[in-house]
Amino acid sequence: MKFDTIIIGGGLSGMTCAAMLAKNGQKVALVTAGQSCLHFNSGSIELLGFQEGKVVERPFEGIAQLNEAHPYRKIKTEKLTVYAEEARTLLAEAGLKMKGNAEKNHFRLSPIGTTIPAWLTLEDLITLETTAELNGKKLLLANVEGFLDWPTAYLSDSLSAMGANVKTASFTTEALAFARKSPTEMRAINIAKYLDKAQNMADAAREINRLGKGFDLVLLPAVLGLAHDNIDLLRKAVEMPIECVATMPPSVPGIRIENKLRGFLGQHGAVVLNSDTVNNGFFEGDKLTAITTEKLEETRLEANQYVLATGSFLSGGLVSDYQTITEPALHLEVEAHESRTQWTSEYLFDEQPYMAFGVKTTDDFHPMKDGKTVTNLYAIGSVLSGNSGIKQATGTGVSMLTAIAVAHNILNQ
Amino acid sequence: MSEIQLKNISRHELEQCLKCSICTVYCPVSAVEPKYPGPKHSGPDLMRYRIKDAAFFNENLKMCLNCKRCEVACPNDVKVGDIIQEARIKYSTHTPSLRDRMLANTDFVGTMATMVAPVVNFSLGLKPAKTVLHTVMGIDKHRTFPSYSRQKFETWFKKEAEEQQKQFTRFVSYFHGCYVNYNYPQLGKDLVKIMNACNYGVHLLEKEKCCGVALIANGLSAQAKRQGTVNLKSMRRSIENRDEAIVTTSSTCTFTMRDEYKHLLELDNADVRDSLMLATRFLHTLITAGKIRLAFKKDYRKKVAYHSACHMERLGWIVYSTELMRMVPGLDLIMLESQCCGIAGTYGFKKENYERSQQIGATLFDHINEVDPDCVSTDCETCKWQIEMSTKYKVINPISLIAEALDVEETRRLNTVHEADKPRMQGDLAMP
Amino acid sequence: MAERQHKTFDVIVIGGGITGAGVARDCALRGLSVLLVEKYDLTNGASGRNHGLLHSGARYAVTDKESATECIQENMTLRKIARHCVEETEGLFITLPEDDLCYQKNFVEACTEAGIRAEIIDPKEAIRLEPAVNPTLIGAVKVPDASIDPFRLTAANMLDAKLHGADVLTYHEVTRLIIRNGSVEGVVMCNHKTGEICEAYAPLTINAAGIWGHLIAQMADLTVNMFPAKGALLVFGHRVNQMVINRCRKPANADILVPDDAVCVIGTTSDRVPFDEIDRLKVTPEEVDLLIREGEKLAPALATTRILRAYAGVRPLVAADNDPSGRNISRGIVLLDHETRDGLGGFITITGGKMMTYRLMAELATDLACKKLGVDKACETATKPLPGSEKTYRKRGLPTAVVAEEGRHGTLAPLIPNATDIDRAMVCECEEVTVGEMKYAVETLHATQLINMRRRTRVSMGTCQGTLCACRAAHVLCELAKTEAKQSQYELASVMAERWKGMRPVAWGDTLKEAQLMSVVYEGLCGLNQRAGKGKEIAQ
Repeated sequence: MKFDTIIIGGGLSGMTCAAMLAKNGQKVALVTAGQSCLHFNSGSIELLGFQEGKVVERPFEGIAQLNEAHPYRKIKTEKLTVYAEEARTLLAEAGLKMKGNAEKNHFRLSPIGTTIPAWLTLEDLITLETTAELNGKKLLLANVEGFLDWPTAYLSDSLSAMGANVKTASFTTEALAFARKSPTEMRAINIAKYLDKAQNMADAAREINRLGKGFDLVLLPAVLGLAHDNIDLLRKAVEMPIECVATMPPSVPGIRIENKLRGFLGQHGAVVLNSDTVNNGFFEGDKLTAITTEKLEETRLEANQYVLATGSFLSGGLVSDYQTITEPALHLEVEAHESRTQWTSEYLFDEQPYMAFGVKTTDDFHPMKDGKTVTNLYAIGSVLSGNSGIKQATGTGVSMLTAIAVAHNILNQ
Repeated sequence: MSEIQLKNISRHELEQCLKCSICTVYCPVSAVEPKYPGPKHSGPDLMRYRIKDAAFFNENLKMCLNCKRCEVACPNDVKVGDIIQEARIKYSTHTPSLRDRMLANTDFVGTMATMVAPVVNFSLGLKPAKTVLHTVMGIDKHRTFPSYSRQKFETWFKKEAEEQQKQFTRFVSYFHGCYVNYNYPQLGKDLVKIMNACNYGVHLLEKEKCCGVALIANGLSAQAKRQGTVNLKSMRRSIENRDEAIVTTSSTCTFTMRDEYKHLLELDNADVRDSLMLATRFLHTLITAGKIRLAFKKDYRKKVAYHSACHMERLGWIVYSTELMRMVPGLDLIMLESQCCGIAGTYGFKKENYERSQQIGATLFDHINEVDPDCVSTDCETCKWQIEMSTKYKVINPISLIAEALDVEETRRLNTVHEADKPRMQGDLAMP
Repeated sequence: MAERQHKTFDVIVIGGGITGAGVARDCALRGLSVLLVEKYDLTNGASGRNHGLLHSGARYAVTDKESATECIQENMTLRKIARHCVEETEGLFITLPEDDLCYQKNFVEACTEAGIRAEIIDPKEAIRLEPAVNPTLIGAVKVPDASIDPFRLTAANMLDAKLHGADVLTYHEVTRLIIRNGSVEGVVMCNHKTGEICEAYAPLTINAAGIWGHLIAQMADLTVNMFPAKGALLVFGHRVNQMVINRCRKPANADILVPDDAVCVIGTTSDRVPFDEIDRLKVTPEEVDLLIREGEKLAPALATTRILRAYAGVRPLVAADNDPSGRNISRGIVLLDHETRDGLGGFITITGGKMMTYRLMAELATDLACKKLGVDKACETATKPLPGSEKTYRKRGLPTAVVAEEGRHGTLAPLIPNATDIDRAMVCECEEVTVGEMKYAVETLHATQLINMRRRTRVSMGTCQGTLCACRAAHVLCELAKTEAKQSQYELASVMAERWKGMRPVAWGDTLKEAQLMSVVYEGLCGLNQRAGKGKEIAQ
């Protein structure tokens, strides 16, 4: 099978790159081994949130101070702002309304009530410019009865600490009470599936109204808008401002981002090979000429350009055994510490070195194999070395911006 | 010193499960049925405990459709569905009812029904008969039974086609499955038409039994294993006879024989697995390799909505069927959002599952109505029943669409010309 | 607390391990008023950091007959009185080609002498009984080993002590002994949660603090020459074996594999550690590698089974000589009457021994206590079942969570609320822990913090090590125990740090993936690091 570009990895980075190429007319194949880490996402995309433990206000200023080996530093500064805008446009084209801007971070509210700097956040999720913003506000935390993945006591405590006057209450409907019969599956995703039906949403609105009137803001767990953009229905029916707060995983906002991007790929004719993994790459000189996958067996997939977007350890982009760290799809060169005692830190919340391990690349994101640069292969997103995505709150931004940078490289050829 | 712990290997990839819960997002059942504990809990969570004590088996696991969407979603390749099915095989004390046995024995019931097809079709459609099936047998009254053909595919083949096959020098074996044999021989005829046009002869297997998917689902795995043994033996014979492949037109039969034989029935199919494939894959591979060429009718026009059947997703082979259809110039292919239609073989036929089955498929039916295609296409026959029953659209297997669009004469000419003439050929050539 | 300051007991027991809980129960059953004091949580020390093995005694039959005899007697007793904590797995002692088969003969003879039923079986029969066993074995002996859950056992002892009037204080550290007129009259304690200082009085204090007993004795200027021997163990993701597998040779490193609940545990190593390390033990890469390499020899499947975590405990051995390995020191029970030994009244130390001989240790200590206090009442603990173990309790066809609860709480399981949707709601899916079971643990089992909940119910002990359930559990507990939100989040952070501590020594392969998921969820999604203590605290 022949394609213009084959993307290996279907997470945020792979989908972004595939979408950029597909919307510009390329025939793209995306090979993805199951669903992505967006299922643990908050509903926000971040550029740079923290530097040395401190909150970053203006991400581009922070990026300029990052270590040279950081993936952001491989993209020209003036391009970064352009790509950031393109990322937002792409998300909008895919049907994802986001708020926020790249010049200045806002805060998202985490499921336990901490504030974390972010760049773009789904329109229906709560964001704060400053933590003082809620001071004196009358808030209703309205949970779905029996939903255990939204710790209202933590949220209430945090919001109160920001000066808000918080009332916590819960509601249920016939459909939600039915869902609740399951001891194991009363989770965000199933609640979202029930609330996707208009009647169930109308029932929910009625019950929320019963919880009280006159609140400045009603906060709900992020269990809305899985397939249908239905928060507006609720907003109309409730007549109070409504915003959502992320829940513990599986993340409905994250799944929505994934679904919309997948849908966009489908509309643009990209071929998605679900639940498949690359098991071999055929190299000639400085080029990758074909790949094969587990499921398609002997069928060779060929393309002019290839993009590796397989993520970090969690997504299988890197694998480790008791003494080595490797890139399993194409056996590319990896940057990682030698001894396993150096991979990790003793305290969970200290910087964990393994988080920044990844594939070594040139400034154009070409990886190396056996000491040579592979000129028609790129690496993007969390498989890249030099980025501690969680510690710095850069993961999703690096995924999208390196994807867009590489898409431009490919399109310019 | 020797290496340690290079890889974690365990049955059904249990060790790879991170409990990330992604599978639960894609389970069509837990979204509508709170009694079902969900794939993660039924599968990897409780497998750890069942290893300790069989008391941790729960009969509610029978609500699993075996759609394998959990496995498709799993980023770590955990065989969540296999774990659940294996638990049912190992621990269930529930004895299959007459209804379950009847639904499971698709070939036996098929043989009986074909013999008296008009009567059966008529009576299965009658209200009193449906009421009896519903109340006595537990087969839901809303179900439209797939109608039985007057003539089995095998009978047609022997009478009308077998002799002609002798003119060919290269062959495939065709595993037609129960559906083609008893309900819809036309699909088999379409395949023979395409293969013959491509200068390939078609053999039937020496002996073909139902693949056993319905037997496994209904708790009759011992019988499934016996039938699987017969099928594997016949397939080995085909390979010995140098047939180039054993092709199929049902994604479910294919998946069952390639993967479930090994994982659930513990049949060793390693020697035939690579030769066993969907006809769309076989054709696509030959076309890509330049070994055959297809020509299509110039005036062919059709808007087709493709439904990704669950086991097709699990096989990972949707791309072969869709890329093959995309070779047809007048065929406008629209991909429906991949989700379970709710039928899951015999599952949706059972009274206790009917409502759940329709709820599961509801959003798919809505989507089809929105797209409003000329027809729906899918590689699975039971999806066809479900979609045809639940929407106004006809559902056609990709092979039948290719056969319909095929310019048989031109294709035959293209595939019989001398090698040296090939570069000069003109016409609607489909090259990837 | 003010009230308790003046409270006087018959006995104060220091140490909330299995020995302390056993002593408290025995004393309470004999009518004494008891205070049990523990500086952190119950089973925080060696009681919660061992194999979970109910020895048949066979392991010691050749080298230490006294221990062997104690073991088999206690083994038979615990099967009756603690049946809900015991799983009657039976055990094998296997001889591998590299071992001397001659040892088997001595071994069986020694077992027989000690009263341990040891039956030589054909290697093929051993493989049939335990398919996971190394198939190259050349000899096998079947013995009555079993698996025992020390968390459950301790909680049941504590619960029975309370039912018989005992007071229990967890997170209270004894900082000083009150000594007057040559006698210990009470203790001064620091409440770790509030920082408050309080006192309690009793004519007799029993030091049952395991390895920390050395430090308690020091408070009275006494020396109990303890020998801290660290033993490291690995927990695997699921059971590979259904029977205990031992090596039939002189006891050495990593030669016991025990099926415990849904996992199996290989151990141990044995190394002397300095006293200043006993509160912050680390498992080294060398120990991990050794445990895997030796473990594979018992059950080859361990070579490919995911390791969930590593942990280490310190055996409270009493040093008798200068043996550097600690292996030749007796596991025997040491009961010290400091009045006769050191001239200090009102103070006794019970130490040495093994987790599974706790009942006998408690009996000996309580006999002495009764003698000193002039109480004449016979010990009942060898015959009176623990709460939950009154009879074999088992129903089939129930929801899986109920099956799990019956496994953990025996006959007390019906006390676990499960009438409502919320009570039935599953918190920890790996380990089948419901909100109802958490309620029960809060109300009856001294579970006020998340780390306590883990030890009482198994919440977060499964494959994901709390990644998917710990926040849920922490918040449920926050509401049940009326903990302040910030404190509850701090406890959650320290529990995740504790989970990571055990994962880190084995953080490669799937365990590293799991760890990254843990960080993605708790630091990335939740920002829980903002709620962690400044001191990088790890839950105890």
